[in-house]
Amino acid sequence: MLNPNNDIYDAVIIGAGISGLVCGCYLAKAGMKVLIAEQHHKPGGYCTSFTRKGFTFDAAADCFGAYREDGITRKICKDFEIDKKLNIIRPDPSVIIITPDYKVYFWNDLEKTIKELQIIFPEEDNNIKRFFSFVFNSDPNSFSRIRSRTFKELLDQYFTNDKLKAILSFPLLAIGGLPPSMMSAFMGVKLFSEFLLDGGYQPKGGMQALPDALAERFKEFGGELRLSCLVKKIRIKDNKITGVVFEKGSFIPSKYVISNCDARQTFLKLLGKDKIKEDFYLKIKDMTPSISNFVLYLGIDEYFKPLQNPGSALFFSPHYDLDKAYQAAQKGDIEGYGGYALRIYHDKSTISAIIPAPYKNKKYWTNNKHKFLESFIDRIEKYSIPDLSKHIIHKEAATPYTLYRYTLNHKGASYGWAGTLSQLAVPDFRKPSFIQGFYLTGHWTTLGTGISGVVYVGHDTAKKILRKEKLSYKIN
Amino acid sequence: MSDNVENEIISIIADVSGFDEEEIKPDTNLQNELEIDSIKAIEITVAIEKKFKVSVRDEDVPKILTLSDAVNLVNQLLNQKGRDA
Repeated sequence: MLNPNNDIYDAVIIGAGISGLVCGCYLAKAGMKVLIAEQHHKPGGYCTSFTRKGFTFDAAADCFGAYREDGITRKICKDFEIDKKLNIIRPDPSVIIITPDYKVYFWNDLEKTIKELQIIFPEEDNNIKRFFSFVFNSDPNSFSRIRSRTFKELLDQYFTNDKLKAILSFPLLAIGGLPPSMMSAFMGVKLFSEFLLDGGYQPKGGMQALPDALAERFKEFGGELRLSCLVKKIRIKDNKITGVVFEKGSFIPSKYVISNCDARQTFLKLLGKDKIKEDFYLKIKDMTPSISNFVLYLGIDEYFKPLQNPGSALFFSPHYDLDKAYQAAQKGDIEGYGGYALRIYHDKSTISAIIPAPYKNKKYWTNNKHKFLESFIDRIEKYSIPDLSKHIIHKEAATPYTLYRYTLNHKGASYGWAGTLSQLAVPDFRKPSFIQGFYLTGHWTTLGTGISGVVYVGHDTAKKILRKEKLSYKIN
Repeated sequence: MSDNVENEIISIIADVSGFDEEEIKPDTNLQNELEIDSIKAIEITVAIEKKFKVSVRDEDVPKILTLSDAVNLVNQLLNQKGRDA
């Protein structure tokens, strides 16, 4: 039964990332009294936008996937009737991969994508068909059988051409933070299907529109969103949630607590080391976060000829050795990494570019940010946009430290825990079995596959709680 | 032993699926009745491996269609482990 006492919440959600907002919307819509506490002054987590000198940039996430007819992101947009309001656009092609020998397009028309790839790699034509068919297969059980394989092992099973394998993996290194030899096949396939085959969707005007629309609906459903509100402690009694404590000291009683923030912080700081079992504590200490990113934001003076395909994500790599690229990225070696991901926005005057980068402290990035930024611009100018530097009106960057500072993700990790084999579906990171009424949602649940992944988890977490409460799961 | 195995697996499936333990019967279809998709099938498998210190072969994961399939598989793996030890 829900608590009739007005001062007690049914659920407190820590963090207004996409997963927290999605979860909160379903709970509030079903009639629960829900509070979302967000430490930043706007909702969205990594899915926010900001404006400088008239240019609007997406801070980190710049598109989302799984928006086809049965896609999970489309489902939640429809459930909350925000799909029409958002004006969602999809560039065509959504992705372009460029290497010294090839230019590969991912068109909205999947058949066209497959056909073009078969023309480029005729010796692999049947393998390409088989692989795409496997990835796009919607049988809910089909992916469970690849759980102990790496994405490289999966690709090896289908293809012989190493360059083709690298081409199909490079975007995943850029958006999932791992080379195919380290990434779990499950994560690789999810990213491939939701980002490459059904990705690239953007709300017109910037990604901030998505969390803003969700936050608005959440409030309409009776939810309470508190911004600039840091949670300091999660309180439990007899292994059962009792509520949270805010930074300013006030205790907020609640039956459920759902953490949409960093998992290390959730367990070690908010809950406290003494509240978790020794083996789970050791497990957390042993886990590796995903790599962070260096994000470059450029405002340019005019649309000029080299800027083709506005909206499309361009993945460039001057080589095919992705293990070497990953090692270089971990050292902050921009030349060794070689490539980058680049997007020219629909307005044709805004560009963002991104490369994986190591977490270092504030001092390191204060000293190195400018050098890194200039060297990044040089590389884009050299390989993709000649004369770029002559057209820049505004330039700035987010370092891994910046990403940490705004979101408090451990070490500025971009995708939660690294998506390696040993870190896939680790028990107790979604629903800690040792505390009643306590859930995690978002990319730290060991299922970090971008926005569609956190949407899935947010929806699923809400369904679990509603089932416990015997409340109907309301849509529309 | 077998009852313990069954109870432990029910508790794992309840946590992963969000369904109450009472709703999980030996022949309940995990996919159709408890909404177990590929992510949750992996979560259940990993939790079973951790709990019983066994290792489930990949090709066996999609064969787990009901609670009794999971119980049988775990008993089989535990017997095998006992024999190997």
